[in-house]
Amino acid sequence: MEVYPIVNLKELHEKKIKDILDKKQVWNLPLVEKDANIQEVLSILTTRDHVWVVEEKGKRKICGVITESDILRLIAPHRLPKYVFGKRYSVSLHHGTARKACDVMHKQIITCSPEDKVGEALLRMVNAGLRRLPVVENDEIVGEITTHYIIQILLGKR
Amino acid sequence: MLLEIGVALILAKIIGYAFEKIKQPAVLGEIIAGIVLGPFIAGRIFGIKYISAETEGIAQLGIIILLFMSGLEIGVEEIKAVGKNGLITSLFDVSIAFLFGYIAGNTLGYDMRTSIAIGNIMVATSVGITVKTLMEMKALHTKVGELILTVAVLDDVLGIVILSITLGKGQPLMILLKVFIFFFSFVLILLLMGKIKNIKFHIPRLMLTLSLAFALIFSAFAKRLGLAAVTGSFFAGLLFSVFPQRRRIIEFTRGIGEIFFIPLFFVWVGASFDFYALKDMGMLVLLFVPMALIGKVIGCSLGAKISKFKTRDALAVGIGMMPRMEVALVVVTTEISMGIFSDALAHQILAATILLVIISSILTPILLKIVKEKASTSQEG
Repeated sequence: MEVYPIVNLKELHEKKIKDILDKKQVWNLPLVEKDANIQEVLSILTTRDHVWVVEEKGKRKICGVITESDILRLIAPHRLPKYVFGKRYSVSLHHGTARKACDVMHKQIITCSPEDKVGEALLRMVNAGLRRLPVVENDEIVGEITTHYIIQILLGKR
Repeated sequence: MLLEIGVALILAKIIGYAFEKIKQPAVLGEIIAGIVLGPFIAGRIFGIKYISAETEGIAQLGIIILLFMSGLEIGVEEIKAVGKNGLITSLFDVSIAFLFGYIAGNTLGYDMRTSIAIGNIMVATSVGITVKTLMEMKALHTKVGELILTVAVLDDVLGIVILSITLGKGQPLMILLKVFIFFFSFVLILLLMGKIKNIKFHIPRLMLTLSLAFALIFSAFAKRLGLAAVTGSFFAGLLFSVFPQRRRIIEFTRGIGEIFFIPLFFVWVGASFDFYALKDMGMLVLLFVPMALIGKVIGCSLGAKISKFKTRDALAVGIGMMPRMEVALVVVTTEISMGIFSDALAHQILAATILLVIISSILTPILLKIVKEKASTSQEG
């Protein structure tokens, strides 16, 4: 059986995000503009488990995120909570109110910067119950830290 | 007290679920659970005394959490996104609904403060039942559905603002000054939160604790200024809606609110229902309920018509905005706790509001279906 080298966790926590970020990753980020059709979002989510939403096509100013669990909520039979406020619970694929990426996305996103330590970013993910963080510099997404990516680093595969 | 609360939670859950099954709001079931536990049924049969200082305290916390959750879910960004049509319709909706309430109070011979308090109860809509009906009719994505959802966002905000202005204690000028201080503080904190929202702390669940603590502190601040505590908790919710952790705060607040505090508020409302009040409230209920329903229909329809909606669609918007539920009950209990109504009148107004909640929940889906079906028929014709 192949044994993978395990990275020293303490060292990993002290590293900066920019030190572990794959420079090529920036060209392969799942991005969609906020006015994109919901079909486009779904199409990306056939191969990825999330998509970052940016203000305009071709730009990287981040304004939201859509995860597979958001889509799961849209697909499952619609059930309103006991107490309904605002417009959030009326977003539905079945009822035609989820038309664009901006209808579905989380508008407030938790981010990290290239200068943050990996340990801080991981704590942020754990505290907020997130599996991914966008790496943001001057409001623009320059990469992402995902659980998969960290596991790959942990196993020395990156 | 522990036994009563435990039984109340189970009853509220079971009857609430039964109501959901018959396509009625769970809140109604929770109120019925309260009526069952109240002095007229369980009180008489088993000698249970549900209404106590402790259960009232829990109900008050339920109100704070409910309004905090409402502010969080409505959100500052969503308010900014309300378009011209939404704003026009909301302004007509809120002002005419309020006016109709005031006229009802005035016609019944109540003083100005009481009439204003009745007007306040009629302002806030609960769109849960309308959303369900529009979904059943596959009309949620239509212009009517969209306008109803947009107006509902502003409706609660304006309702709370009116409540703050009209129910403040003291001289009119002093009230205005206090309202100004409150909203100036709100804007100031909003600007500050915009600056600090991305600061990273590493204390587990800090934001969750802070948000709830802030809701209580801001409520106390509003109360200290002579405004209603619910004003503080609602605007605290709006303030925390700008944070990246908003979704998590909502989940946390919904968790503790939906499981414990909020059902116990509605149970408490039900337990406070006085059957004796029914026999003395003839004229009140005859005016209160119809004025509340007609005020909304006229206000919203007029606003929608001015926003260039077809007459039948405008009418559908008005009917869709008729239901009253959570916020109306919060407003009435707040007004009662502020001592605005005399003891006997307080029971009557609470009973009338519960009747309004029930009647508007039953009537809205029926009327909405009739209006929308006729609209479809006339379009086909």
